[in-house]
Amino acid sequence: MNELEMKLEQPDDPCLDEMTLLLYAERQLDREAAQRVSLHTQTCTRCLTLLRALDRGSRLLTRSMLEQDEPFPARLAEFHAQVKRNMQWIWGVIFGLAVLGVYELYANYITPVQTQLNDAGFTGSSLLSLVVFQGAFWKGWASMFGLFQFLAVTVMVGFGLFAFRRYLRRGSAMAAVVLSGLSVLLASASPATATEFRKSDTVTIKKGEVITGDMFLAGNHVRIEGEVDGDVFVFAEQLEVSGRISGDLIGFAQTERISGVVDGNVRTAANNVTITGSVERNVTAWNESLNLDSGGKIGRSLTVGGESVVLDGKIGRDLLGFFKNGTISGFIGGSVRARGEMLSISSGAEIDGKTKFDGHKEPSVSADAKLGSPVEFTKVEHKHEARTGDYYLWRLIFTGTFLAFGLVLAGLMPKFAAESVESAGQVGISFGLGVLVLFGVFIGSLIACATIIFLLVGISSLMLWLIMLMAAEVVVGGVVGQWILGRSDEFWKFFLRVALGVVIIRVITTIPFIGFWVALAVCFWGMGAISLTLYRRLQPAFAPNIPPAPMPPVGMSTPLPPSTTVGGI
Amino acid sequence: MSAPGKTEPTELIAQARTGDTQAWGDLYREYAPAIFRFCRRAMPTREDAEDATMEIFMKLRDKLVQYDASRSFTAWLYKIAANHCWDMLRRKKARHDKDMDDITEVPLQCPEPNQLEKLIEERTGEEVRRALDKLGLRARMALVMRYYSDMSYDEIADALGVRRQFVGVVLLRARHELRQALGESSALAVGGAR
Repeated sequence: MNELEMKLEQPDDPCLDEMTLLLYAERQLDREAAQRVSLHTQTCTRCLTLLRALDRGSRLLTRSMLEQDEPFPARLAEFHAQVKRNMQWIWGVIFGLAVLGVYELYANYITPVQTQLNDAGFTGSSLLSLVVFQGAFWKGWASMFGLFQFLAVTVMVGFGLFAFRRYLRRGSAMAAVVLSGLSVLLASASPATATEFRKSDTVTIKKGEVITGDMFLAGNHVRIEGEVDGDVFVFAEQLEVSGRISGDLIGFAQTERISGVVDGNVRTAANNVTITGSVERNVTAWNESLNLDSGGKIGRSLTVGGESVVLDGKIGRDLLGFFKNGTISGFIGGSVRARGEMLSISSGAEIDGKTKFDGHKEPSVSADAKLGSPVEFTKVEHKHEARTGDYYLWRLIFTGTFLAFGLVLAGLMPKFAAESVESAGQVGISFGLGVLVLFGVFIGSLIACATIIFLLVGISSLMLWLIMLMAAEVVVGGVVGQWILGRSDEFWKFFLRVALGVVIIRVITTIPFIGFWVALAVCFWGMGAISLTLYRRLQPAFAPNIPPAPMPPVGMSTPLPPSTTVGGI
Repeated sequence: MSAPGKTEPTELIAQARTGDTQAWGDLYREYAPAIFRFCRRAMPTREDAEDATMEIFMKLRDKLVQYDASRSFTAWLYKIAANHCWDMLRRKKARHDKDMDDITEVPLQCPEPNQLEKLIEERTGEEVRRALDKLGLRARMALVMRYYSDMSYDEIADALGVRRQFVGVVLLRARHELRQALGESSALAVGGAR
């Protein structure tokens, strides 16, 4: 005899406990026990009331749970799980290929440039420090570092919160993270320094005038006759420096003349640059013509790119030049590394280090010129780069990358991928829009980045642009594949078409000369198709109805079903 | 286990079992909303429920060939869902050291056993669901399995890994716990009104 049976047979306390009644209400008692409970509840009002309460409680609980309180999530509207699971290994492959690509880029392109720059006196220990900490505009960036720091940390915190959103369920935890991040930022912020701005048709810092701190000058004519104890940033049609700048001079001008003294570096982009004065450190100039007068002096190195470069003055260290016509008749304390059409080394020239010239014509070297070593000349010929096994290996790797990328796109965004391929079918409109987007978005993003305030917007749009550029070939591959094999909505068949198209495009773009133009056309076409799809998606439309749950409607006014419980389906 | 009058789409299930992607898509659209709601009731957050729904259907797709067509598909699907959710909750417990056995502290005897019915009637469905969030994981899971998906005591015992005889105890204690949670929210509401 179990506990229940004993309870049922107790004459002095005949009422049943809640557990027994619940089991009875839920039809979990065996036949014999259920009959006893049934008999008892026919005579005991208290137990009958409790039984009804339990039963009704169960049904009310069911009704509360079955209420459709929130919409079905859009991300679950279609089943993507198979793809999601199959994609896991793809990320590994993509990462591997990306690492290989970055290595290739670094080894074949960045390192040689870095070596050349090192030869020219930019002796940064790494490319990062070279670009950021010794780069042309480091002084300018330095004052903005706090802003970048803030943006970088904000972006990182944003990504962190997004990644760990599932673990940050409580608002207080999220607030704590955000506040901690802000506190760290505030604690690490450095005080701002004063900077003077002057803007006018003619801006003049008169002789005898001494300015302490950095300056931003803008105008048609900018003259610096006095002294600036700081860095000077100039935007002008004509710039004349006859005074003294103890920091760096960073100038953008049509005509630039330095007859005074610059204690720091000169970084400039101008049509004509003439230096008759003295620059104590380095000069970096991108211009049409640069003239270092016989009285002019550059304390350290000169890096110059332009049509005409004439160097009569003195350069303390190295020269790195890219020009059409170059003339050296002054003194260079270090080596010369130049590339251009023509180089002339006159009789008064003196070069202490090595001289290397890559050009179309052999340099003209005067017999009276004093050279540390004979000129090393390499003739530059226009010829197609010899294609070795490495070239084809990398083509194969990049084809694999594009295929993997296509697989990911088609898997993660099947509808979007299909729509993009469909848009690519409209060749004319896609191509036209692509031309606009390829240049327009890129330039717009750069401008946004330059404004600093919209830096985040600029970087985001640049990233989007880059993704679109990468995806362009995949989209065009899809439409080419569909032209050959016909249309299919099934995932793997669709991907097969994309793969076929991508392989065809990669083969065509391997052909010399034609390949480049085909690749460019594919970029226009694909980017246009993606843009067209995005545009169509952004158009207001009625959202498709998510199918309702296949269950009977259960509302507060609906009578409860006769059975004790009802399943969710 | 199905709602009265509701027939299961046996043809669709049979087609999906043969690998028909269209049929699988239809089957998914047919059952996913209900399974999502089940997960929403059982899991602590919406994100967890979404993830669980997707994973349940991934499992379902793999296991569909094992489905015995003579049994209820809905019951079988809920069994998969319940097992998966309970596994997820147990993993969460391991990560966050959450107490899953707190229900044992709730007394089996209740001075006012019919109070739950009154409290539920006084509350909106949303308030009841919010109160469910306050329950221990096992209590909540048991109530969802029983009163949302109408699972049998055997199935609940199997999913929770307890003896069948203990399921009634778990459910009764869960109901008491829910009554307590609803009572507390009621007291808070009254206090707030003052």
